Amino acid sequence: MDEILRGGIPYGSTVLAAGTCGSGKTTMGMEFLVRGALAGEACAHFTATEPSVKLLENIRQYAFFDMNMIDSGLINVFDMDVLYSWLGLDKASFDLDDVHALIKAIVDIVNTIGVTRLVIDSVTTLCYKIKSEQLIRDFLFTLGKKLATLGCTTILISEITSATENAHWSSFGVEEAIADGIIVMGDVERMGHLLRFLQVVKMRGTAHSRAKHAIELTPLGVMLTPMLKWGAVSDKTSKWGQ
Amino acid sequence: MYELDQRIAEQLTEVSLSSSVQVRCGNSNAFMVTASTLIPLMQMFEMGGVYICATRGAVEIIEAFNSIGVDVSNIQFIDLVSSGILGGTDVPYDNITFVDSPIMLESVLLRTLYTLRIISSERNFVLIDSVNALAIYNEERMLAEYLHTFINTFRQREVLSIILNIPDQVPPAVLSNLDLYCTDLIDRGQVVIH
Repeated sequence: MDEILRGGIPYGSTVLAAGTCGSGKTTMGMEFLVRGALAGEACAHFTATEPSVKLLENIRQYAFFDMNMIDSGLINVFDMDVLYSWLGLDKASFDLDDVHALIKAIVDIVNTIGVTRLVIDSVTTLCYKIKSEQLIRDFLFTLGKKLATLGCTTILISEITSATENAHWSSFGVEEAIADGIIVMGDVERMGHLLRFLQVVKMRGTAHSRAKHAIELTPLGVMLTPMLKWGAVSDKTSKWGQ
Repeated sequence: MYELDQRIAEQLTEVSLSSSVQVRCGNSNAFMVTASTLIPLMQMFEMGGVYICATRGAVEIIEAFNSIGVDVSNIQFIDLVSSGILGGTDVPYDNITFVDSPIMLESVLLRTLYTLRIISSERNFVLIDSVNALAIYNEERMLAEYLHTFINTFRQREVLSIILNIPDQVPPAVLSNLDLYCTDLIDRGQVVIH
């Protein structure tokens, strides 16, 4: 990833990692935190899609992950449901005050622990409770700005149903506008087999590659290679060779 | 005792780690040529490596080597065949990993790179067995592009690449590209009179 980005994600950036199900978003997000933790950075992961116990159980299979990083407090995993409950936000939808309370809680956690790498998995699940597009935009913009001010580099994971050229890279159509970077992840179908790919669409402040890369989730982490030019088609809705 | 082609071992003394060797064989001598290539690499040059099985399943290849008294437990096998067979991945050897299909060329490359990172040998080779099998599933231009990427990837990492093929059954464009990319040729292909 550092090679593709010609050095990595710039400090303080808010990056949208948009991908279809099973494309490796969570693994990439967790590896981003692990690499930070190995360099002594404090990291945080807010999980809204699955309980933290399940997340950690799944991530344990990877050799790059070490449970000591959790035990020693280098990587802090927060269940969004627990956070909602703690903030008294056990409700179906959030209004402006709720959104501000949520931003304050996340920023307070980041500030208190001194988090420099943060993953929110997923911003799609989180934003389901925010009914207005304007509120979603305000929430993400304000959150991104406050985290950047604190020097925190953030990956917002977004769930999308298709990764074609014509697809939105976010569920609500606003996340991509506030992000400093967009990484798209999906599948290419070749004769009935799904091949994972990753493409950096945008990364402010870098002269990054925009090529489609095939990825493999190995025990050592996400590995990438440029996709074969004669084999790269849009996504699983497209057919090989067309 | 199985008779090996000693001239292949002699030829291999002239290649370096950043070489890419095209090994041509025929239908009837494919295993003998493969064994004559692999055994010196393991035993004379003490190399480790990755054997990419596209022609037949890894178990069959391991057992073929076992049957001539050659232990290949130090070699890692990437099997592109057996996953497509029901129950084909339930194997008694722990030096085999599977890729779903020979069509997943990028996965094969990444899986090979990953395997090279976890093995302990300092000097390594990667062997593709064979271009013919890959050509069954992959379109000519794509296969030519892949071999170009594959060879250069390992040349850059100083990993010897061995590309096995039966020349009279390889698409002409792929074969001529191989001639261009590979630094060395071991030719044990059968002469075909049309």
